[in-house]
Amino acid sequence: MGTGSPGGGTNVEGESPRIEPTVETDEATLTDDAELERTLGLTGGLAIGIGTMIGAGIFVFPGLAAEQAGPAASASFAIGAVVALLVALPASELATAMPKSGGGYYFISRGLGTLAGTVVGLSLWFGLVFATAFYLVGFGFYAVDTLAELGIAVGEELVIPIALLFGAGFTVLNVTGTENAAKLQNGIVALLLSILVVFLTYGGLDAAGVVGEPSVPEQFAPAGIFPVFTTAALVFTSYLGFAQVATVAGEMKNPGRNLPLAMVGSVLVVGVLYVVTIFVATSGLGSETLGDLGETAMVEVGRHYLGPVGAVAIVFGGLLATMSSANASVLSTSRSIYAVSRDALLPQEASRINLRYGTPHVALGMAGGPILVLTATGKVELLAEVASFLHLVMYGLICVALIALRRDEPEWYDPDFRVPGYPVVPALGAVCSFALILFMDWTSQLIGVGIMILTTVWYFYYARDVDLKGKL
Amino acid sequence: MTRILVPLAILEGESVSAGLADLLKPMDVTVLGYHVLPEQTPPDQARLQYEDRATAALEDLATEFGAADGTADYRLVFTHNRKQTFDRVADATGADVYAIPGATGPVDRLLVALTGDVAVDRIRSFVTDLIGDRDISVTLFLATDDERAGEQLLEATAVTLFDEGLHVRTELAVDEPPLEALVNAAADHDAIVMGERAPSLRTLVFGEEAERVAAGSVGPVLVVRRLEDDD
Repeated sequence: MGTGSPGGGTNVEGESPRIEPTVETDEATLTDDAELERTLGLTGGLAIGIGTMIGAGIFVFPGLAAEQAGPAASASFAIGAVVALLVALPASELATAMPKSGGGYYFISRGLGTLAGTVVGLSLWFGLVFATAFYLVGFGFYAVDTLAELGIAVGEELVIPIALLFGAGFTVLNVTGTENAAKLQNGIVALLLSILVVFLTYGGLDAAGVVGEPSVPEQFAPAGIFPVFTTAALVFTSYLGFAQVATVAGEMKNPGRNLPLAMVGSVLVVGVLYVVTIFVATSGLGSETLGDLGETAMVEVGRHYLGPVGAVAIVFGGLLATMSSANASVLSTSRSIYAVSRDALLPQEASRINLRYGTPHVALGMAGGPILVLTATGKVELLAEVASFLHLVMYGLICVALIALRRDEPEWYDPDFRVPGYPVVPALGAVCSFALILFMDWTSQLIGVGIMILTTVWYFYYARDVDLKGKL
Repeated sequence: MTRILVPLAILEGESVSAGLADLLKPMDVTVLGYHVLPEQTPPDQARLQYEDRATAALEDLATEFGAADGTADYRLVFTHNRKQTFDRVADATGADVYAIPGATGPVDRLLVALTGDVAVDRIRSFVTDLIGDRDISVTLFLATDDERAGEQLLEATAVTLFDEGLHVRTELAVDEPPLEALVNAAADHDAIVMGERAPSLRTLVFGEEAERVAAGSVGPVLVVRRLEDDD
């Protein structure tokens, strides 16, 4: 193996990218000797997108965001949604042109070359690791609150141990589990959406003064405009999931139609839910109270509107949502490791799978190990921002790659979906993605830049002679 | 000539018995080597690792079904969804029949089930094709609540098969649980031919009828696929 690729060069160990000519149909990918079934439908794609995103934005961030920006946190989430949408559209075009596993990394390595590809591919691995650790810590908070609702008060010192336990559990389950968890994921997402729609409809009517006691509206942006943007940078982690849809592009049925719908659709769905949730939450309890309540502030919002039933529903929803986000991200991480190792940017050993369970145990281990280390730090906001940082770099470069490809369209470039408003939309997408990074905390920026420098060094040491640009 | 799809979980070592290979050798056969992956694993990742091994095994299997005479070929698919792959490949190759491989020696007694809402004409013409001028006897089996109609159907089908020169006898099970009756009747036969039925609540709960028959009878089962316009 590792031979027979059309050019592509070799890495320091003499491995070449494993690239073979394929024919894509709506139902399968045909290689010379084998066929790869496309098994994910639109529902599955939306479930991955929404399932990854919904955990953070609704269940972890409202308290933290309200503390920083007041009721204007809604605007922060709206800004995030706009940026995500500006990237989701170009990403959709690239995904329909290159419906392969690997997502954003794949587009950038083929559009901009190996250096950008290596930096993004490896940064995405770390970005997902940070994101997963963030979801796990969120899960830990909800687990402690669940115990509290059940009358077992254990205190916050158990948040991290519980998060670590479940992080290790997800990794092991993903290595050994061959049950089809996708159906479960679809069910969880459907259940979450139902809980939220009921809760938000009631809360929205109440907040608008239709039912319940009228409340006094507080000042919209008490701390001014700047915190609205820094909060947007913080909560952008709530929008990372749409690009995870692209990591399964190779398994999506009818990718020309389903990929754009799943990516853009999931951003729209969660964007609306986030904005409404923050509106309802800040109207109900006031942003100061929310801020004091921290990660699980939504539980008290539930209690405020619907009494104990509301609190239990939110606690339960938060558990499910953070769990589904964490699990979906572990899977995406393993896929992104596979994508770079297939292209010889990491040792090909990393994409080994075992015949016993049929799972990529090496890649899952390379995801799970760092996730546990980061979870142990327990720094919610730092984890979230670094995750956003590394994703935003990729998002910006996705837009740049689109512009580069469009300016000089290669023969193979034939997307089913073309982004409306070219070149304004991708240009804005790139500018906004990079701009959002500037509003982050400097510690996050430092860690993010550090990781990118490390990946660049890795490129020059390991993969300088690998050539991926335009190699489909 | 009817094409038969023989799906095999190739990397789990699933194989075909010599009896089934001999039975199907005169027919057009597509061996579908498949490997079902958990959702954690992209199909392409498994392909890179297992393609060579699977292809070598499939080439050997296709030879057993007569690849040398040009009547057999193979396809290799990595998938998350077995049923979806079967249906797609069956449609793509125009296979009207698929085989569930089981253990059997040389096949000289075939049990043909006509129970339920199945395409009797297509089953009958497939059986005629399959047997050709070989010395294989046929038992037509039907489980029903309506004894008279059942007898008539068996009789009419037996006559046409007899006219083609086959050895035919009939077996009617009245007011018995159809599946158990079929599995019991299969005891003194080497292979079963049956029709695929429309999915129902029962298949949702218990799994596909053909697979339950295969599990109960141990021997190979040839299933004549249901076509859209059979309804």
